[in-house]
Amino acid sequence: MKKLLAIALALALTLSLAACGNGGEPPADGGDAGADLAGTYDVVIWAPEAAVDLTKSQVADFNSSNEYGITINATVEPVSEADAATNMITDVQAGGDLFFFAQDQLSRLIQAGAVSKLGASAVEFAKNNNNAASILAAQSGSDLYAYPLTADNGYFMYYDKSVVPDSDADSLEAIIADCEAAGKNISFELENAWYSAGFFFGTGCHSQWITDDDGNFISIDDDFNSDKGLIAAKGIQKVVTSKSYVNSSNADFASGSAVVVTGTWNYATIKDQIGDNMGVADLPSFEVDGQSYHIGSYSGCKLLGVKPQTDAVRGAALARLAQYLTGKDCQLARFNSFGWGPSNKDALADPAVTSDPTLAALNEQGNYAVPQPNIHGSWWDIAKVIATDIKASDGSDAALKAALDKYEQSIQAVFSMSDDVKNAFTVIGSINGDGWTLDLPMTADGDIWTSNEAYTMDAGVEFKCRQGMSWDVAYPADNFVVETAGTYYIQLNAATGEVSLIPA
Amino acid sequence: MSNNKHHMGMKTLNRLSNSAIYTLLVIISVVWLIPFVFIVLQSFRVESTYQVGYVVPHQWGFQNYINLWNSDFKRWYLNTFIIALAAAVLQTIIVLCMSYTLSRFRFKLRGPLMRFMLILGMFPGMLTMIILYRVLSDLGLTQANAVPGLILVSVASSGMGYYVSKGFFDTIPKSLDEAARVDGATRLQVLYKIILPLAKPIVIYTILTAFMGPWGDYVFARYVAFGTSAGYNVAVGMYSWLTNDQINNMYTTFCAGGVIVALPVTILFLCLQKYYVEGVTGGAVKG
Repeated sequence: MKKLLAIALALALTLSLAACGNGGEPPADGGDAGADLAGTYDVVIWAPEAAVDLTKSQVADFNSSNEYGITINATVEPVSEADAATNMITDVQAGGDLFFFAQDQLSRLIQAGAVSKLGASAVEFAKNNNNAASILAAQSGSDLYAYPLTADNGYFMYYDKSVVPDSDADSLEAIIADCEAAGKNISFELENAWYSAGFFFGTGCHSQWITDDDGNFISIDDDFNSDKGLIAAKGIQKVVTSKSYVNSSNADFASGSAVVVTGTWNYATIKDQIGDNMGVADLPSFEVDGQSYHIGSYSGCKLLGVKPQTDAVRGAALARLAQYLTGKDCQLARFNSFGWGPSNKDALADPAVTSDPTLAALNEQGNYAVPQPNIHGSWWDIAKVIATDIKASDGSDAALKAALDKYEQSIQAVFSMSDDVKNAFTVIGSINGDGWTLDLPMTADGDIWTSNEAYTMDAGVEFKCRQGMSWDVAYPADNFVVETAGTYYIQLNAATGEVSLIPA
Repeated sequence: MSNNKHHMGMKTLNRLSNSAIYTLLVIISVVWLIPFVFIVLQSFRVESTYQVGYVVPHQWGFQNYINLWNSDFKRWYLNTFIIALAAAVLQTIIVLCMSYTLSRFRFKLRGPLMRFMLILGMFPGMLTMIILYRVLSDLGLTQANAVPGLILVSVASSGMGYYVSKGFFDTIPKSLDEAARVDGATRLQVLYKIILPLAKPIVIYTILTAFMGPWGDYVFARYVAFGTSAGYNVAVGMYSWLTNDQINNMYTTFCAGGVIVALPVTILFLCLQKYYVEGVTGGAVKG
């Protein structure tokens, strides 16, 4: 059934993309300062079930307090932030105007035309008020597409002090020994890339997908398959081969676990399950060849997206509402009601937030955490296999290396290009006012590559010619700078690396 | 003597094989019933709302059912019930008329029509989902208006499910029709005065399957009602409680919902079970 659903949604995505194609660029919201926004707007807001009532009252507060004369007539529907993209993509037109979503859905939403780009004033608002990691989460290319709501989407460790004494909580080996001795489980969802990546970050590996302004993935920079990655694999192996290991991130203390790696959302449940025995800490360290490595993690955000609006005034009014809902007061209210960790700088400094035990642990873990960037949807399926393969392997270095080799092949296959594309040179730069995002095609005559079109360039325009849409081979070494404005063909001698302009 | 001994031996053998069979059956039914018992027990657990490692509640109560009553579940349940009821009535009428026509009437293209529907029926219904969504969306029958939309979808193609009942109608002697026609009955009167009373099992089978379908519908219902709680059916609504941020609060309520959903279908099934078996096998007597 799930598979069918997935196929159907993929089809829906294609369809909505096609539908979007002739609509042209939706107007960026954020609005012009001073435009008359007064009026009544019917707005559908998708918020997680728990936040529905609070959101209603926050909208009411906005209506009574905003200085623009905006009245929002809101319908708040319970839609989980984990499902928002799937739901939006079904039919963007009928989707919510404002919607809460987890940051990993951003690219899908951008590609489906379901979130609008923030206008200049909205960008300024978001950047001034939120911490850097949350801004990164809302960014694709150089543009912001959503407002940060929380910065608490990370994981850390809950443990039962009656099984794992505080003194052992720093060491993965000690924790495993304690749990095995007590016959208790360790819930660590390593067969999910979001969790297993932490080991790799802990040994200094990185994995970064690079997106352009349209939410398209253009390349990946990843070194999981390396000597450092092998150390991480050995760390993962320690956990997955333990008889205590359970692949779960649920609040499992009532069903046999003494350690659970999960996030703030399970705090209340776990508190209820083990009461004063509850310990909360950053993730432990593991030891390989006498060297200690602190397990890293992903840190992420929840975001508030605004659907592109055909009416610019309405778009601007919704931007005001979105800014209110992601502002300090609303974030603090959510923290007080559900313990959602704020992304707002002022809210983060609030004493109630700084003294919260889970946020303290998250904060401590933050020293080892990697802000979750935009990640290609296929990565989760590719990377989750690492732990499964390690578990099934005989544990030898060669077997662990094989698992990592397989991973690297899979991610490279995502960008498999034909040899023609790999060898071809393209021009990229600030031509046509473009911000180094678009590769302009060139055609070869022997070693001489010439751009297919002549471009009108002002003095000061910069560009480079690169091969295979990557930076491994690019000419000239420093950017080519146009000295005299005019219309030129761009020519490259691939044998010498010499770039020249041919007046059209 | 020896005869007697032999008799005893048979008896023991019988008893042995019987007890072996019954043990096996008991084991199978226990395995089969465990999930249901589990759900019922969990739905009465009130000391916590998340998943736990034990089955029998420490504290019993009706809080989960009260929560259910206070949630959107009422609406979802009503939606599903309306869809199921409408589907049961309309689908039954359409299927029976279709079967009667194809069984008793001879008209041009009857054969090609039946073959065409047979082939059409081989395409999975999911294939049409996107285009159906577009059509429903243009008619305004999605999201909050999902209920009439889903009724329309489930009823619209129901005529193609005529096989079983047509097979059953074919077994009713045509001479009965002819006798009635000679006595002055119209075709319609033949259907509801002669055929239907004789085809009770198949009528009930048709009603049952039509009624039960919507209770389990997830994929299409979710697709049509997306993001609008007022249009959800029970499957879609309850599934929305299983997300990461919901499950710890809603797990036992979810179990209670499962019990309530199972009730009407179970009751209906128990009452009409006798006919159901006859209906399934009845249609297969003669092709």
